[in-house]
Amino acid sequence: MDNKTAEGQVIVVTSGKGGVGKTTTVANVASSLARLGQKVVVLDLDIGLKKLDLILGLENRVIYDIVQVIEGECTLKQALVKDKRFPELHMLPAAQTRNKDDITPEQVKQLCTQLKPDFDYIFIDCPAGIEQGFRNAIAAADRAIVVTNPEVSAVRDADRIIGMLESANFKDIKLVVNRIRNDMVKSGDMLSIDDLMEHLCIDLLGVVPEDQDVVVSTNRGEPIILNDHSQASTAFNNIARRTLGEQVDFPTFEDINLWTRIKSLGRNMFSGR
Amino acid sequence: MLDFLKRVFNAEDKSSKGQANNRLRLVLTHDRLGTSGLVMEAMKEEIIQVIAKHMEIEGVPEVKIITEGRHAAMDISIPLKGR
Repeated sequence: MDNKTAEGQVIVVTSGKGGVGKTTTVANVASSLARLGQKVVVLDLDIGLKKLDLILGLENRVIYDIVQVIEGECTLKQALVKDKRFPELHMLPAAQTRNKDDITPEQVKQLCTQLKPDFDYIFIDCPAGIEQGFRNAIAAADRAIVVTNPEVSAVRDADRIIGMLESANFKDIKLVVNRIRNDMVKSGDMLSIDDLMEHLCIDLLGVVPEDQDVVVSTNRGEPIILNDHSQASTAFNNIARRTLGEQVDFPTFEDINLWTRIKSLGRNMFSGR
Repeated sequence: MLDFLKRVFNAEDKSSKGQANNRLRLVLTHDRLGTSGLVMEAMKEEIIQVIAKHMEIEGVPEVKIITEGRHAAMDISIPLKGR
């Protein structure tokens, strides 16, 4: 609210298929942007199956939820959870005991209109699927990030989602490839970034390597971007900077391999081997 | 379509990644057009039959889907016999 000028942008993070890393992407890109000084709010629209609070480690701080805001049981301000680690990050939790049909696309639009003057970025964590929850999630969005994995079923669902976003007149649709393993790509057992670009034909926003550190961070309820030594952290920070419009080069295989070598060297040194 | 299928199944790349790519090319084309391989095959036959009803075909007719980016077009090539 201090140095904010233009109206906030609404970005929906979606995928079609579940389990590809939508919530992890939202949590980390939003945290990273907040750390860069942007005012960010994340909206969990996966009503009935909420996860964002847990991934962000804010589950104990939730008092009200999005449905209560929409139904007028509390104010928007009361429901927003502030993240103590990132003063610029706020979260509007989903309701766990309600379902997707309890809110409408129009209500989500009104909510975003209320949030826009106070935030630079409004991230919407979209539920899996193409039904009401998806329609609610895309209703207010200016931009879309499609998350996929290098795996046939995830790519097929991503393609369907991209088609639906295009039908809804989205002009800014970008791809995040999550959980790629360069060793498998090299040995011919995993779809490469080039393959995914050929099939999906949209701009690439980020490539996140498969990284065990993500599981560790998720267990602890800490965004992975707080771990400066993980590859996934670098990838999410790069996505955040590209979201801001910065040109950030994509690391090549060689870079990644070099990084892996340095990392394992460090690990071996510290473990005394 | 047959050519397309042939290209897919005769493809050099025998790696699992190559197979994934070939399967995706087919399934995404069909998904985007809201059709299936069987429907395409039937349609190809019908198109050729319509032409054959009015003109004499000479050689091998081709009906296939060509894609560019997310857009697709039907490419029909039917050689006709001249007098």
